[in-house]
Amino acid sequence: MQSKLSDIALIERVLGGDQSAYAELVRRHQRFVFTLAMRFAKNREDAEEIAQDSFIKAYRSLSAFQGNSKFTTWMYSIVYTTAMTFLRKKRVDTTSIDDENTYIQLESTHGSFDNNTAEKKSRSYYLNLAISQLLPDDAAIITLFYNGEQTLEEIAATMGMETNTVKVKLFRARQRLKDKLEGMLKHEVKELI
Amino acid sequence: MNNIEEKVWSYIDGSGTEEERAHIKFMIENDEAFKKIYDEIRSFDAELKAIELDEPPMAFTYRVMEGVRAEEAQKPLKATINNKIIYGIAAFFLLTIGALIIYALATVNWTDGKADSSIMSSVKIPELKLSPAVEKAFLFFGVVMALYMADALLRRSQQAKHN
Repeated sequence: MQSKLSDIALIERVLGGDQSAYAELVRRHQRFVFTLAMRFAKNREDAEEIAQDSFIKAYRSLSAFQGNSKFTTWMYSIVYTTAMTFLRKKRVDTTSIDDENTYIQLESTHGSFDNNTAEKKSRSYYLNLAISQLLPDDAAIITLFYNGEQTLEEIAATMGMETNTVKVKLFRARQRLKDKLEGMLKHEVKELI
Repeated sequence: MNNIEEKVWSYIDGSGTEEERAHIKFMIENDEAFKKIYDEIRSFDAELKAIELDEPPMAFTYRVMEGVRAEEAQKPLKATINNKIIYGIAAFFLLTIGALIIYALATVNWTDGKADSSIMSSVKIPELKLSPAVEKAFLFFGVVMALYMADALLRRSQQAKHN
Protein backbone atom coordinates (compact mmCIF):
# COMPACT_ATOMS: atom_id res chain seq x y z
CA MET A 1 0.00 0.00 0.00
CA GLN A 2 2.80 2.37 1.01
CA SER A 3 4.52 2.13 -2.38
CA LYS A 4 1.52 3.89 -3.92
CA LEU A 5 1.76 6.85 -1.57
CA SER A 6 3.37 10.07 -2.76
CA ASP A 7 6.58 11.32 -1.18
CA ILE A 8 4.64 14.04 0.63
CA ALA A 9 2.17 11.52 2.07
CA LEU A 10 5.05 9.34 3.26
CA ILE A 11 6.74 12.35 4.85
CA GLU A 12 3.52 13.23 6.69
CA ARG A 13 3.39 9.68 8.02
CA VAL A 14 6.99 9.87 9.17
CA LEU A 15 6.29 13.14 10.95
CA GLY A 16 3.34 11.43 12.59
CA GLY A 17 5.75 8.85 14.05
CA ASP A 18 5.63 6.06 11.44
CA GLN A 19 9.26 5.04 10.92
CA SER A 20 8.39 2.38 8.36
CA ALA A 21 7.22 5.16 6.04
CA TYR A 22 10.74 6.55 6.12
CA ALA A 23 12.14 3.13 5.22
CA GLU A 24 9.86 3.22 2.17
CA LEU A 25 11.09 6.71 1.28
CA VAL A 26 14.70 5.52 1.57
CA ARG A 27 14.01 2.46 -0.60
CA ARG A 28 12.36 4.68 -3.20
CA HIS A 29 15.22 7.17 -3.50
CA GLN A 30 18.30 5.25 -2.40
CA ARG A 31 19.57 4.64 -5.95
CA PHE A 32 19.31 8.31 -6.87
CA VAL A 33 20.97 9.46 -3.64
CA PHE A 34 23.68 6.81 -3.91
CA THR A 35 24.37 7.78 -7.54
CA LEU A 36 24.65 11.43 -6.54
CA ALA A 37 27.02 10.46 -3.73
CA MET A 38 29.06 8.46 -6.24
CA ARG A 39 29.35 11.55 -8.41
CA PHE A 40 31.05 13.35 -5.52
CA ALA A 41 32.94 10.56 -3.77
CA LYS A 42 34.03 8.44 -6.73
CA ASN A 43 34.20 5.22 -4.75
CA ARG A 44 31.47 3.01 -3.37
CA GLU A 45 32.55 2.94 0.28
CA ASP A 46 32.63 6.72 0.62
CA ALA A 47 29.47 7.08 -1.46
CA GLU A 48 27.68 4.67 0.84
CA GLU A 49 28.73 6.65 3.89
CA ILE A 50 27.69 9.95 2.30
CA ALA A 51 24.33 8.53 1.16
CA GLN A 52 23.62 7.05 4.60
CA ASP A 53 24.55 10.26 6.40
CA SER A 54 22.41 12.23 3.97
CA PHE A 55 19.33 10.12 4.68
CA ILE A 56 19.88 10.39 8.44
CA LYS A 57 20.32 14.17 8.18
CA ALA A 58 17.18 14.32 6.04
CA TYR A 59 15.26 12.39 8.71
CA ARG A 60 16.51 14.78 11.36
CA SER A 61 15.27 17.84 9.50
CA LEU A 62 12.27 16.32 7.75
CA SER A 63 9.93 18.75 9.47
CA ALA A 64 11.77 21.57 7.67
CA PHE A 65 10.81 20.13 4.28
CA GLN A 66 8.22 22.55 2.96
CA GLY A 67 6.99 20.42 0.06
CA ASN A 68 7.49 23.32 -2.37
CA SER A 69 10.01 21.28 -4.33
CA LYS A 70 10.48 17.59 -5.08
CA PHE A 71 11.90 15.44 -2.30
CA THR A 72 14.81 14.59 -4.63
CA THR A 73 15.57 18.29 -5.09
CA TRP A 74 15.71 18.76 -1.35
CA MET A 75 17.82 15.61 -0.99
CA TYR A 76 20.32 16.92 -3.51
CA SER A 77 21.18 19.91 -1.31
CA ILE A 78 21.64 17.58 1.66
CA VAL A 79 23.83 15.16 -0.32
CA TYR A 80 25.86 18.08 -1.66
CA THR A 81 26.65 19.56 1.78
CA THR A 82 27.25 16.12 3.29
CA ALA A 83 29.61 15.18 0.47
CA MET A 84 31.53 18.44 0.69
CA THR A 85 31.96 18.08 4.46
CA PHE A 86 32.98 14.45 4.04
CA LEU A 87 35.51 15.19 1.30
CA ARG A 88 36.97 18.13 3.21
CA LYS A 89 37.50 15.87 6.22
CA LYS A 90 38.88 13.07 4.11
CA ARG A 91 41.20 15.12 1.96
CA VAL A 92 44.51 13.40 2.38
CA ASP A 93 46.72 15.34 0.02
CA THR A 94 46.96 18.98 -0.94
CA THR A 95 45.07 18.59 -4.19
CA SER A 96 41.99 20.76 -4.43
CA ILE A 97 38.68 18.93 -4.57
CA ASP A 98 37.84 21.11 -7.54
CA ASP A 99 40.81 19.84 -9.50
CA GLU A 100 39.61 17.71 -12.37
CA ASN A 101 42.79 15.61 -12.24
CA THR A 102 41.92 14.43 -8.74
CA TYR A 103 39.04 12.49 -10.17
CA ILE A 104 41.06 11.09 -13.02
CA GLN A 105 43.39 9.61 -10.40
CA LEU A 106 40.46 8.14 -8.53
CA GLU A 107 38.67 6.70 -11.52
CA SER A 108 39.94 3.15 -11.03
CA THR A 109 37.69 2.74 -8.04
CA HIS A 110 34.58 3.05 -10.15
CA GLY A 111 32.19 0.16 -9.93
CA SER A 112 32.60 -3.52 -9.96
CA PHE A 113 32.89 -3.78 -13.73
CA ASP A 114 36.67 -3.71 -13.85
CA ASN A 115 37.09 -7.40 -14.38
CA ASN A 116 34.12 -7.74 -16.62
CA THR A 117 35.47 -7.58 -20.15
CA ALA A 118 32.11 -7.70 -21.87
CA GLU A 119 30.85 -4.84 -19.74
CA LYS A 120 34.10 -2.96 -20.22
CA LYS A 121 33.62 -2.97 -23.94
CA SER A 122 30.12 -1.55 -23.80
CA ARG A 123 29.54 2.09 -24.54
CA SER A 124 27.47 2.57 -21.40
CA TYR A 125 30.44 1.43 -19.31
CA TYR A 126 32.56 4.14 -20.86
CA LEU A 127 29.76 6.64 -20.43
CA ASN A 128 29.64 5.92 -16.69
CA LEU A 129 33.42 6.07 -16.53
CA ALA A 130 33.43 9.39 -18.36
CA ILE A 131 30.84 10.78 -15.92
CA SER A 132 32.99 9.68 -13.00
CA GLN A 133 35.84 11.74 -14.43
CA LEU A 134 33.85 14.93 -14.70
CA LEU A 135 34.00 17.65 -12.07
CA PRO A 136 31.49 16.90 -9.29
CA ASP A 137 29.29 19.84 -10.28
CA ASP A 138 29.16 18.73 -13.91
CA ALA A 139 28.44 15.14 -12.95
CA ALA A 140 25.77 16.24 -10.48
CA ILE A 141 24.00 18.51 -12.97
CA ILE A 142 23.84 15.67 -15.48
CA THR A 143 22.56 13.27 -12.82
CA LEU A 144 19.92 15.73 -11.67
CA PHE A 145 18.74 16.39 -15.21
CA TYR A 146 18.72 12.81 -16.49
CA ASN A 147 18.27 10.66 -13.39
CA GLY A 148 16.53 13.07 -11.05
CA GLU A 149 14.09 14.02 -13.78
CA GLN A 150 14.37 17.65 -12.81
CA THR A 151 13.70 20.60 -15.04
CA LEU A 152 16.27 23.32 -15.59
CA GLU A 153 14.18 25.58 -13.35
CA GLU A 154 14.18 23.02 -10.53
CA ILE A 155 17.92 22.48 -10.84
CA ALA A 156 18.42 26.24 -10.79
CA ALA A 157 16.39 26.50 -7.59
CA THR A 158 18.34 23.61 -6.04
CA MET A 159 21.72 25.05 -6.91
CA GLY A 160 20.74 28.64 -6.19
CA MET A 161 21.50 29.76 -9.74
CA GLU A 162 19.73 31.43 -12.63
CA THR A 163 18.00 29.08 -15.06
CA ASN A 164 20.16 30.39 -17.89
CA THR A 165 23.34 29.70 -15.91
CA VAL A 166 22.19 26.12 -15.34
CA LYS A 167 21.37 25.81 -19.03
CA VAL A 168 24.89 26.89 -19.97
CA LYS A 169 26.44 24.66 -17.27
CA LEU A 170 24.45 21.67 -18.49
CA PHE A 171 25.46 22.36 -22.07
CA ARG A 172 29.14 22.58 -21.11
CA ALA A 173 28.93 19.49 -18.89
CA ARG A 174 27.43 17.47 -21.74
CA GLN A 175 30.05 18.77 -24.17
CA ARG A 176 32.85 17.80 -21.79
CA LEU A 177 31.27 14.42 -21.27
CA LYS A 178 30.90 13.88 -25.01
CA ASP A 179 34.54 14.84 -25.58
CA LYS A 180 35.73 12.54 -22.79
CA LEU A 181 33.67 9.66 -24.09
CA GLU A 182 34.91 10.11 -27.64
CA GLY A 183 38.49 10.32 -26.36
CA MET A 184 38.07 7.10 -24.39
CA LEU A 185 36.46 5.24 -27.25
CA LYS A 186 39.16 6.36 -29.68
CA HIS A 187 41.81 5.16 -27.23
CA GLU A 188 40.00 1.84 -26.88
CA VAL A 189 39.80 1.38 -30.66
CA LYS A 190 43.54 2.14 -30.95
CA GLU A 191 44.25 -0.47 -28.26
CA LEU A 192 42.18 -3.04 -30.08
CA ILE A 193 44.01 -2.34 -33.37
CA MET B 1 23.33 31.16 -28.48
CA ASN B 2 26.79 30.69 -29.82
CA ASN B 3 26.87 27.65 -32.01
CA ILE B 4 24.86 24.98 -33.71
CA GLU B 5 25.41 22.44 -30.93
CA GLU B 6 24.09 24.77 -28.26
CA LYS B 7 21.04 25.53 -30.39
CA VAL B 8 20.39 21.84 -31.03
CA TRP B 9 20.75 20.92 -27.32
CA SER B 10 18.31 23.68 -26.46
CA TYR B 11 15.88 22.33 -29.08
CA ILE B 12 16.17 18.77 -27.74
CA ASP B 13 15.69 19.96 -24.14
CA GLY B 14 12.54 21.75 -25.21
CA SER B 15 13.74 25.16 -24.11
CA GLY B 16 13.79 28.43 -26.06
CA THR B 17 10.98 30.47 -27.54
CA GLU B 18 8.52 29.16 -30.13
CA GLU B 19 10.24 31.28 -32.74
CA GLU B 20 13.69 29.88 -31.92
CA ARG B 21 12.38 26.33 -31.93
CA ALA B 22 10.68 26.81 -35.29
CA HIS B 23 13.91 28.21 -36.71
CA ILE B 24 16.01 25.29 -35.42
CA LYS B 25 13.45 22.81 -36.75
CA PHE B 26 13.64 24.45 -40.14
CA MET B 27 17.44 24.31 -40.09
CA ILE B 28 17.44 20.61 -39.15
CA GLU B 29 15.13 19.83 -42.02
CA ASN B 30 16.98 21.91 -44.57
CA ASP B 31 20.64 22.07 -43.56
CA GLU B 32 22.78 18.93 -43.82
CA ALA B 33 25.36 20.11 -41.25
CA PHE B 34 22.58 20.94 -38.81
CA LYS B 35 20.89 17.58 -39.42
CA LYS B 36 24.16 15.67 -38.83
CA ILE B 37 24.79 17.43 -35.52
CA TYR B 38 21.15 16.97 -34.52
CA ASP B 39 21.30 13.19 -35.12
CA GLU B 40 24.56 12.92 -33.20
CA ILE B 41 23.28 14.89 -30.24
CA ARG B 42 19.92 13.15 -30.19
CA SER B 43 21.64 9.77 -30.03
CA PHE B 44 23.96 10.98 -27.23
CA ASP B 45 20.96 12.38 -25.37
CA ALA B 46 19.21 9.00 -25.67
CA GLU B 47 22.31 7.34 -24.21
CA LEU B 48 22.30 9.75 -21.28
CA LYS B 49 18.63 9.08 -20.67
CA ALA B 50 19.36 5.36 -20.59
CA ILE B 51 22.06 5.62 -17.92
CA GLU B 52 21.18 3.37 -15.02
CA LEU B 53 21.44 4.59 -11.47
CA ASP B 54 24.07 3.00 -9.25
CA GLU B 55 22.79 0.31 -6.95
CA PRO B 56 23.66 0.71 -3.26
CA PRO B 57 24.52 -2.37 -1.17
CA MET B 58 21.62 -4.65 -0.27
CA ALA B 59 21.58 -3.71 3.40
CA PHE B 60 21.55 0.01 2.66
CA THR B 61 17.99 0.74 3.83
CA TYR B 62 18.51 -1.40 6.92
CA ARG B 63 21.66 0.53 7.83
CA VAL B 64 19.95 3.88 7.31
CA MET B 65 17.07 2.79 9.52
CA GLU B 66 19.54 1.59 12.17
CA GLY B 67 21.02 5.08 12.10
CA VAL B 68 17.56 6.62 12.35
CA ARG B 69 16.72 4.42 15.34
CA ALA B 70 20.01 5.37 17.02
CA GLU B 71 19.13 9.00 16.34
CA GLU B 72 15.73 8.54 17.97
CA ALA B 73 17.29 6.85 21.00
CA GLN B 74 19.61 9.82 21.51
CA LYS B 75 16.74 12.30 21.60
CA PRO B 76 16.32 13.79 25.09
CA LEU B 77 13.37 12.60 27.15
CA LYS B 78 11.94 16.10 26.87
CA ALA B 79 11.53 15.68 23.11
CA THR B 80 9.83 12.31 23.32
CA ILE B 81 7.35 13.06 26.12
CA ASN B 82 4.09 14.37 24.81
CA ASN B 83 3.45 17.85 26.20
CA LYS B 84 -0.19 16.93 26.77
CA ILE B 85 0.88 14.39 29.39
CA ILE B 86 2.95 17.02 31.22
CA TYR B 87 0.05 19.49 31.13
CA GLY B 88 -2.33 16.75 32.29
CA ILE B 89 -0.18 15.96 35.31
CA ALA B 90 0.13 19.66 36.13
CA ALA B 91 -3.64 20.14 35.83
CA PHE B 92 -4.26 17.13 38.14
CA PHE B 93 -2.02 18.56 40.87
CA LEU B 94 -3.42 22.07 40.52
CA LEU B 95 -6.98 20.75 40.77
CA THR B 96 -6.12 18.63 43.81
CA ILE B 97 -4.47 21.56 45.58
CA GLY B 98 -7.33 23.86 44.61
CA ALA B 99 -9.94 21.39 45.87
CA LEU B 100 -8.05 20.97 49.12
CA ILE B 101 -7.92 24.73 49.71
CA ILE B 102 -11.61 25.15 48.84
CA TYR B 103 -12.54 22.30 51.16
CA ALA B 104 -10.43 23.71 53.99
CA LEU B 105 -11.87 27.21 53.62
CA ALA B 106 -15.40 25.85 53.42
CA THR B 107 -15.01 24.23 56.82
CA VAL B 108 -14.08 27.52 58.55
CA ASN B 109 -16.78 28.87 60.81
CA TRP B 110 -16.65 32.51 59.65
CA THR B 111 -19.47 33.66 62.02
CA ASP B 112 -17.79 32.44 65.17
CA GLY B 113 -16.82 35.99 66.27
CA LYS B 114 -13.56 34.88 67.86
CA ALA B 115 -10.18 36.48 67.24
CA ASP B 116 -8.42 36.14 63.86
CA SER B 117 -5.91 33.67 65.27
CA SER B 118 -8.66 31.16 65.95
CA ILE B 119 -9.63 31.03 62.26
CA MET B 120 -6.66 28.86 61.48
CA SER B 121 -7.48 26.57 64.36
CA SER B 122 -10.95 26.06 62.94
CA VAL B 123 -9.58 24.99 59.53
CA LYS B 124 -9.96 21.26 59.25
CA ILE B 125 -7.40 19.69 57.01
CA PRO B 126 -8.72 16.39 55.75
CA GLU B 127 -6.80 13.45 56.94
CA LEU B 128 -4.99 11.81 54.06
CA LYS B 129 -4.67 8.11 54.48
CA LEU B 130 -2.49 6.64 51.77
CA SER B 131 -1.96 2.97 51.25
CA PRO B 132 1.71 1.81 51.04
CA ALA B 133 1.26 1.13 47.30
CA VAL B 134 0.11 4.71 46.65
CA GLU B 135 2.96 6.04 48.76
CA LYS B 136 5.43 3.97 46.71
CA ALA B 137 3.83 5.21 43.48
CA PHE B 138 4.23 8.83 44.62
CA LEU B 139 7.82 8.13 45.61
CA PHE B 140 8.52 6.49 42.24
CA PHE B 141 6.97 9.42 40.41
CA GLY B 142 9.13 11.80 42.43
CA VAL B 143 12.28 9.85 41.62
CA VAL B 144 11.41 9.78 37.89
CA MET B 145 10.79 13.53 37.88
CA ALA B 146 14.08 14.12 39.70
CA LEU B 147 15.94 11.98 37.16
CA TYR B 148 14.22 13.81 34.33
CA MET B 149 15.28 17.17 35.74
CA ALA B 150 18.84 15.91 36.30
CA ASP B 151 18.93 14.61 32.68
CA ALA B 152 17.77 18.00 31.36
CA LEU B 153 20.33 19.80 33.54
CA LEU B 154 23.21 17.55 32.42
CA ARG B 155 22.25 17.83 28.76
CA ARG B 156 22.11 21.61 29.03
CA SER B 157 25.53 21.80 30.66
CA GLN B 158 26.96 19.35 28.09
CA GLN B 159 25.55 21.41 25.26
CA ALA B 160 26.99 24.57 26.79
CA LYS B 161 30.40 22.88 26.89
CA HIS B 162 30.14 21.91 23.18
CA ASN B 163 29.16 25.44 22.21
